[in-house]
Amino acid sequence: MQVAALQEAISSAPFAAPASQAAGMVKLLTCGSVDDGKSTLIGRLLWDAAGVTEDQRAAIALASHNRAVNGEKIDFSLLLDGLQAEREQGITIDIAWRYFETGDRRFVIIDSPGHEQYTRNMATGASHADIAILLVDARYGPKRQTRRHAAICDLVGIKKVILAVNKMDLVDWSEARYRAIEAEFAALAGSFGFTEIRTIPVAALTGDNVAYRSARMPWYAGPTLLDYLETVDPKAIAADAPFRMPVQLVLRASGDFRGYAGTITSGRVKVGDRIVDARSGLGATLKRIATMGGDRPSAGTGDAVTLVLDTDLDISRGAVLSEQARRPINADVIEARLVWLSEAPFDPESGYLLRTATDLTPVTSMSVSALVDFETLAASPAHACAMNDIADCRILLGRATALDLFRDLPLTGNFILVSAIDGATVAGGVITWAQSGAPEVGDKVFVLNRELLANGLCSDLGDSPADLAEFNRRAQEVASLLRSIGVPVLVEI
Amino acid sequence: MTALVSHLKLLEAESIHIFREAAAQFRSPVLLYSIGKDSTVLLHLARKAFWPAKPPFPLLHVDTTWKFRDMIAFRDKTARDFGLDLIVHTNHEGLARNINPFDHPPSVYTDVMKTVALRQALDAGGFDAAFGGARRDEEASRAKERVFSFRSAGHRWEPRRQRPEMWQLLNGRLGKGETVRVFPLSNWTEGDVWRYIQQEKLDVVPLYFAAERPVVVRDGQLIVVDDERMRFEPGEKPEMRKVRFRTLGCWPLTAAIESDATTLDAVVEETLAAKVSERAGRLIDHDQAGAMEMKKREGYF
Repeated sequence: MQVAALQEAISSAPFAAPASQAAGMVKLLTCGSVDDGKSTLIGRLLWDAAGVTEDQRAAIALASHNRAVNGEKIDFSLLLDGLQAEREQGITIDIAWRYFETGDRRFVIIDSPGHEQYTRNMATGASHADIAILLVDARYGPKRQTRRHAAICDLVGIKKVILAVNKMDLVDWSEARYRAIEAEFAALAGSFGFTEIRTIPVAALTGDNVAYRSARMPWYAGPTLLDYLETVDPKAIAADAPFRMPVQLVLRASGDFRGYAGTITSGRVKVGDRIVDARSGLGATLKRIATMGGDRPSAGTGDAVTLVLDTDLDISRGAVLSEQARRPINADVIEARLVWLSEAPFDPESGYLLRTATDLTPVTSMSVSALVDFETLAASPAHACAMNDIADCRILLGRATALDLFRDLPLTGNFILVSAIDGATVAGGVITWAQSGAPEVGDKVFVLNRELLANGLCSDLGDSPADLAEFNRRAQEVASLLRSIGVPVLVEI
Repeated sequence: MTALVSHLKLLEAESIHIFREAAAQFRSPVLLYSIGKDSTVLLHLARKAFWPAKPPFPLLHVDTTWKFRDMIAFRDKTARDFGLDLIVHTNHEGLARNINPFDHPPSVYTDVMKTVALRQALDAGGFDAAFGGARRDEEASRAKERVFSFRSAGHRWEPRRQRPEMWQLLNGRLGKGETVRVFPLSNWTEGDVWRYIQQEKLDVVPLYFAAERPVVVRDGQLIVVDDERMRFEPGEKPEMRKVRFRTLGCWPLTAAIESDATTLDAVVEETLAAKVSERAGRLIDHDQAGAMEMKKREGYF
């Protein structure tokens, strides 16, 4: 087979990586457009890392032959584009999930669409990933969409990214070209919250530096893509993070058993610890951590457990159990950055519900204050948003709910917006600011109203939509500044 | 580097989370129990998710009347041992029309005796959510599935109308006429299922283990003869061969493989070393290109 011949051209000398004892799971997002060779890269990774069975290989080889898009070569992208419509159009519309393992490590590949009109699908896929591979074509370097993909990865909380500089074969395996792209991306990525950026020169079609070390780029001393994936530590949540367990449901059984079932989203807890319900402020002592396999003395992040307390807190689904010292915010006003997922644009008159970890809270009012520009990554004033937009917004809740800021604790700081009419998921977002209980008017609260602003700060603004958005932006800005020095503010505009 | 958690433990926790989300959000769920290895794992995870309470939903088995006798015995014993409610549904209208896997092409037989039967049973029970053991690694169109897979009225799957699922947040609010298929094993692979059965020491149907069984070879596939309803082609005569099943369905439509794996350890070893995908033994999927996607659109789970 031709593939075997291609592999022979590539030295298989292993990268001298530290011996890995790592087991576990790495969820990997791949982003880049069809033109960048994304599906080919992943198809190549699956093909070479033995995640493809013989009957699948035969089917792909046959389909490649029929389509002949690649001459006589194997079309690795056929491993990924599963739906018939996608095969016909030759593009990836929806997220596809693929699994493979090497040694002790399980990889989940979340393949997401590259086109701008599928930003929402990409954001959805990215939200499940620990690590992202951003793909660029070595001939062109980072593009507008590389920036957009990086922005979305950053938004949903991905901390580690791999920049795969693909098609090195088309730039004569040039080190200078690679270094220029590496530097350009490092500058671009500086504005994000990534903790680790790894750049790797590859050629997906020939397999160079994907699973096999390339003999054609001796100047590159770093790991191959697979080497790196096998050794990277995917964990994002700090070991000393505060304990949180959103309650999914209350379990009752014979013998007066009453337990709170849920998945621990951060921190650890042990029998004897003091636990509080953030919403009511009531506390109790942890008596048992019950599982079918027997009681446990302690449990940590990611464990699905049932907690039995010494006194009944009378709580139900939606409550967040927390440690005593570092508690969630019991908020009824939040500010958030979100990606709009629904085909129906944001409508301030429409009813929405805020779905946090396990709570569903009615939204009293919601306003958009800015849209993120993918070119500059700056937020510019706006009051509307539609599908695929990333927007900053402010949400007033019908009642308080326990939550955290996303940057502190992602799994109690994220949310989706649900349409109150048909139940559809219309947006997904991260909480950037939250206020614990709206201040009551008259209680030393500064009321920032329309008149006050129109007479001074905003006297230059008219009635156009752009001016109204700017008016709103300035109001929120003033409110933020005042709040940052401890002045309670109520915005009434 | 810090030691990472075993991926089976992560998968188990994720599945339990999904079970609990569905039980909390849907009015009347049911677990589609098809007796095979995936259902065995599914049921075990359901028991863990609600322990010490029993799973707050019944089991539903769609009986085509062509299941292996060993499967039916295993089904009844399982429901009895765990004290669970079991609903068995057969499409009696299809049975009256004598729809069977010998006289009808696999696509017709599957549609009437499995897909239509499933829709009948879900409608009759008024279930708004059905747990299934489908995995994304099984087949290309399944690779795109959501964990909460929405079905419009008539149980139709519309790939383009599926809800985005972000982070761990599963939205179970139903629109008018909508129902949901819930897939707690979405991120499991065939290998994971076997390793988990091994780790948790779960009982499975004996057909998964190699034994001497009466077999005819048809189109290169090994068909085990389970009862007197088998129709032989001219010259065909069953011979005894040591075979087992990687996947279980209706007996004349599910091919066996030659194997010496008589223990769980041997089965796990063989599965992890397998060079062909598991659905190669499912004759119904080969009927036409995109066969699974078509079936799903019509309401197959």
